[in-house]
Amino acid sequence: MVLGEIATATVTAIFLSALYAIIAIGFTLIFGVGGILNFAHGAFITVGMFAGFLATSDAFLIALPIWAGLLAGTAAGALIGAVTYLGIIRYVRDRPVTILILTFVIGFFIIYAIRIGARDVFGVNDPLAIPVPQVMGTAFLNDVYIFVTSWLLIGLLFYFVNYTRTGRAIIAVSQSDKGAALVGIDAEKINLITWTVAGAFAGYAGVLLAGAFGNGSWLMSIQPPAPLILSFAIVILGGLGSIKGSIAGAYIIGFAETFTVNFVPGGEQLAGVSSLVLLVVFLLVKPEGLFGRGAGE
Amino acid sequence: MSTDADGDADIDAERAGETDAAGGEPDTVLEAEDLQVSYGKVTALRGLDVTITEGEIVSLIGPNGAGKTTFCNTASGFLGYDGSVRYRGREVARVGQTELVEEGMVHCTEERDLFGYMDVEDNLELGGYLQDEAVIEDRKEFVYELFPRLDERREQNARSMSGGEQQMLAIGRALMGDPDLLILDEPTLGLAPVILQDIAEALDPIVDRGVTVLLTEQNVTFALEHADRIYLLENGEAVREGTPEELKGDDYIRESYLGG
Repeated sequence: MVLGEIATATVTAIFLSALYAIIAIGFTLIFGVGGILNFAHGAFITVGMFAGFLATSDAFLIALPIWAGLLAGTAAGALIGAVTYLGIIRYVRDRPVTILILTFVIGFFIIYAIRIGARDVFGVNDPLAIPVPQVMGTAFLNDVYIFVTSWLLIGLLFYFVNYTRTGRAIIAVSQSDKGAALVGIDAEKINLITWTVAGAFAGYAGVLLAGAFGNGSWLMSIQPPAPLILSFAIVILGGLGSIKGSIAGAYIIGFAETFTVNFVPGGEQLAGVSSLVLLVVFLLVKPEGLFGRGAGE
Repeated sequence: MSTDADGDADIDAERAGETDAAGGEPDTVLEAEDLQVSYGKVTALRGLDVTITEGEIVSLIGPNGAGKTTFCNTASGFLGYDGSVRYRGREVARVGQTELVEEGMVHCTEERDLFGYMDVEDNLELGGYLQDEAVIEDRKEFVYELFPRLDERREQNARSMSGGEQQMLAIGRALMGDPDLLILDEPTLGLAPVILQDIAEALDPIVDRGVTVLLTEQNVTFALEHADRIYLLENGEAVREGTPEELKGDDYIRESYLGG
């Protein structure tokens, strides 16, 4: 009986962790390349969710299928990532504190815009419950879909970063901005690509997350499972800037949360806390994380 | 006239136009005229004139803070300036940093700026980022011949190498960019004599490949041995210029830099 429960919890954790990995990957990519903690990451996820909602609802006359919603979410995430970099971040790239504050502010602007847009423009009754369908018909198949595409997309990202010319340039910029400039790499272009790809992942994750949890919300970046805080915890555990580390971090947190909920008395109340406890422990004991640094590693 | 590193220039358009059209002297690779650079209120270069022609090794010598590194960083497009600095007749602020590399000006910095978490092979390959595969292979072979230590350490991470090996890698990476003008900023700084010898021996084969070299040095003896012409910089100004023979005979140089 206990074994059965453990097996069930393990499967749940594996699925949940895949979702967490895809939530965090954009955050780690931007940190890895530019050394920037993008606190607008949660807002990028929210943008993806909202684009998914717009595509799948009848907001624009025709309600499209969820596949179009996923595409819309991914595209909207990529767009908001690119616009944020081109419009703001590139002008303050050498000022980390300014960037930190600005990404916070940008994040707030975006989510408030979504709140107003949802309620006043698109007639959503409750911006805390914006309907986004899940991808597959059943929760189990939906989990399988998330698991498979999460690994597929992260695998593609890993291949792109490690085995393509642009990817090598991304790693070069992540290790030495000036070194990259010395060999003729246009850091500006590389940063733009990074923000666009990170935004695309965030947007895609936003649609998946909303679907998996029943609906989206303008406050979803800080509502359970709080993707912004989750991303932060995952990349601290894995090692800031490391793709492999982020996957490992996502799985550690996914397992910790699932097992806390299932096997600790009163665990349901503690789901979000376990990631924070792990975050604090790692910051104190192994601040460099499991995999140190390196965008592609 | 002043220009920014990113090319947002309020250049004297007339003058720049003349220069572009004329293309400068046919064999002039780099030319600085009345070059001034400041860091806030601190002036690093005060009206410097430097000319480097095809196939030369030109050395800038002088004490710490004389402006040698500032000159290198300005020439390779990292710093804004007043006055003029032209590479192959084009004002560098108008060319842009990436294009300068594309045009063959490759800078090996004092700090080396290697990709520390990558191995020797990856560092070299990225050095040829703008080159095609054939050039990369040819250059890599040349670099490994030049520095057999790098060949032995192909899979070693740059950050785990000794200072001398890192310097060889930095020079090797710069050579991968198929340079026309190679800027070597203080390549011998803090290195053991045996490594210094390795680097000295690399200079001739580099020049034989048609590369012009700008070499900055605090090690005056090293510069006198290897340069064709030398500028002595002090407080951002060139206070002496000449061939090594001329400077060796200069009382001021002998007393101040060669221990009498």
